Amino acid sequence: MSSRNHDQWNATPDLQQGEWVDSKIYSDEEIFEDELKKIWSKTWIPVCHESELKEAYSFRTMTIAREPVIVVRGKDMVVRAFLNVCPHRGNMIERRPSGNYKRGTPSGTPKTMTCMFHAWSFDMKGKCVNISRKAEGYQDRLNESQVGLRELKCEVYFGGFVWVSLNDDIGITVEEFAAGSLDVLAPSLNEEPLEVFHYHKAIIPCNYKLWHDTNCEFYHDYLHYHNRITGFNEAYFARKNSGFDGGHINVGSFEVQYDNYEGSHSREELSFPHLPPNHWYMIDMFPGVNFNLRGSALRCDLMTPLGPNSVMIEFRGLGLASDSKKDRQTRIDHHNSIWGPFGRNLHEDLLAVTGQGSSMHPMAESRKILHGRHENETIHDENGMRHYYEEWGKLLNRSPSNPDETFKPYPAFKEQEAQRAAAAGK
Amino acid sequence: MAEIKHDLKEQVRELIYNTCIHLDDHQWEHWHDNCADNFNYAIRAFSPEVQADIKYHGGDKEYMQSITSMLSKHNSDQSPLRRHCTVYRVDVAADGKSAAAISSLAVYQTQLDGINSHVDAGTTSIFLVGRYNDKFIIDGDSIKFEDREVRLDTRRLDKGTHWPI
Repeated sequence: MSSRNHDQWNATPDLQQGEWVDSKIYSDEEIFEDELKKIWSKTWIPVCHESELKEAYSFRTMTIAREPVIVVRGKDMVVRAFLNVCPHRGNMIERRPSGNYKRGTPSGTPKTMTCMFHAWSFDMKGKCVNISRKAEGYQDRLNESQVGLRELKCEVYFGGFVWVSLNDDIGITVEEFAAGSLDVLAPSLNEEPLEVFHYHKAIIPCNYKLWHDTNCEFYHDYLHYHNRITGFNEAYFARKNSGFDGGHINVGSFEVQYDNYEGSHSREELSFPHLPPNHWYMIDMFPGVNFNLRGSALRCDLMTPLGPNSVMIEFRGLGLASDSKKDRQTRIDHHNSIWGPFGRNLHEDLLAVTGQGSSMHPMAESRKILHGRHENETIHDENGMRHYYEEWGKLLNRSPSNPDETFKPYPAFKEQEAQRAAAAGK
Repeated sequence: MAEIKHDLKEQVRELIYNTCIHLDDHQWEHWHDNCADNFNYAIRAFSPEVQADIKYHGGDKEYMQSITSMLSKHNSDQSPLRRHCTVYRVDVAADGKSAAAISSLAVYQTQLDGINSHVDAGTTSIFLVGRYNDKFIIDGDSIKFEDREVRLDTRRLDKGTHWPI
């Protein structure tokens, strides 16, 4: 058989269930709504970095599962998160992406978050501190203590990233949520304060999981001349691709040969703390977070799913807060050469997922997207995606291979789980 | 003297406009030829999200030459970019040895292969807007770029590009 007809195209691949997914998971409106409700509204999501909230009264705004969120640093320097929604008439309180409340706003006094609509004001702990003409309108029927902001779970963790959850009952810390996946980079990121030096965003016509898949799998090295020329040796192909509970993975390191790419140089002098020279680690966290440390520059991708075929990706670059001006500039150049919007790799990755998005519309004939490469859990093994979709399937109770059916564990993971239970004496 | 300065201003304008044609048409070597040896290039924007000036791309002449020489090895969106540039102001130094210019810039992208070519090819949209902030070295009849800052207003850059702006 060479090319295939409809029935052959739609036939179950000769791989184990769990080693492919149905493209419907990337285009279906109902599945997307299910994901917002059962995944994005329930888990920890990093939303920004603490260096974006340097001073007391500074704020950042963002969106999680369509909910407008504001993160503020109080005068006690604690970072807190709230729904960015006025309890009076549901207006979005803060419209700017960032700023500082030390200065007043046209409707509000300094050091308060004030809704411009009717000038209700809130302090940095979310307490309502002013209801305009309260006595005249509400007499003694309503007071400030009854109309505070909706506070959200918030932690600053892992090199100063700010994590928020819409789920009051999440019951686990970010550390517990990470399940060990962050440990490989924790010494490098926690040694001294980090600072954001790069930010840009892209809205791409593809499902958010396609971007996460691309971050999880390195088999697409063939897309990148840069990766092939600076990698592709024995040590590269031996990099481990390790799965963790909760759908997270990380990718082990090797020494990148930056000198092999014309115009590129070793990053040895500016390695992050505890990182061997020119090494490169990657962490992909469920449901859509990427930490990527290439020697001298840390990249972090945060995703905001906008629809089945639309995702906003915020790209950040970070260095050490203690950088000299010269070192910072070098880090920025290292970062941009590969990962900036005009860099060599990012444009190529975004082109590829745009192509996937174009081909996976809701009415399309089903595509069986293959995640079945096995290479002893090394760099081109598709273990990362299998691991991700195991968690995805559990949380949605849908089979990634046939999303209209209920979830069944991937046989190999089921076996591993049984072995772990047996070893634990269960 | 005033006439000489006027001529220099005209030459600077002409250089900026000709460079737009070179960049539109991927005549990278012509562009590099019009840059001084100590040329520096940067694409920057202020990000109100992180309250910082961000450098998106750039380097010295050698780096920009290596970037353009490697383009054929990379997978790129080949949708053409066209610049609409208006030189707002040219200031020539009193000694006639340097100049600075500010130009308004809009770059249009006409889709070719960036999305689904059957549907989207031929569709034009604004890729980015901003300004060119240029500095020049003048040596007799020779005027060369010493510095180009592409100062962007646009910060949502979606797929981005491999091409200098």
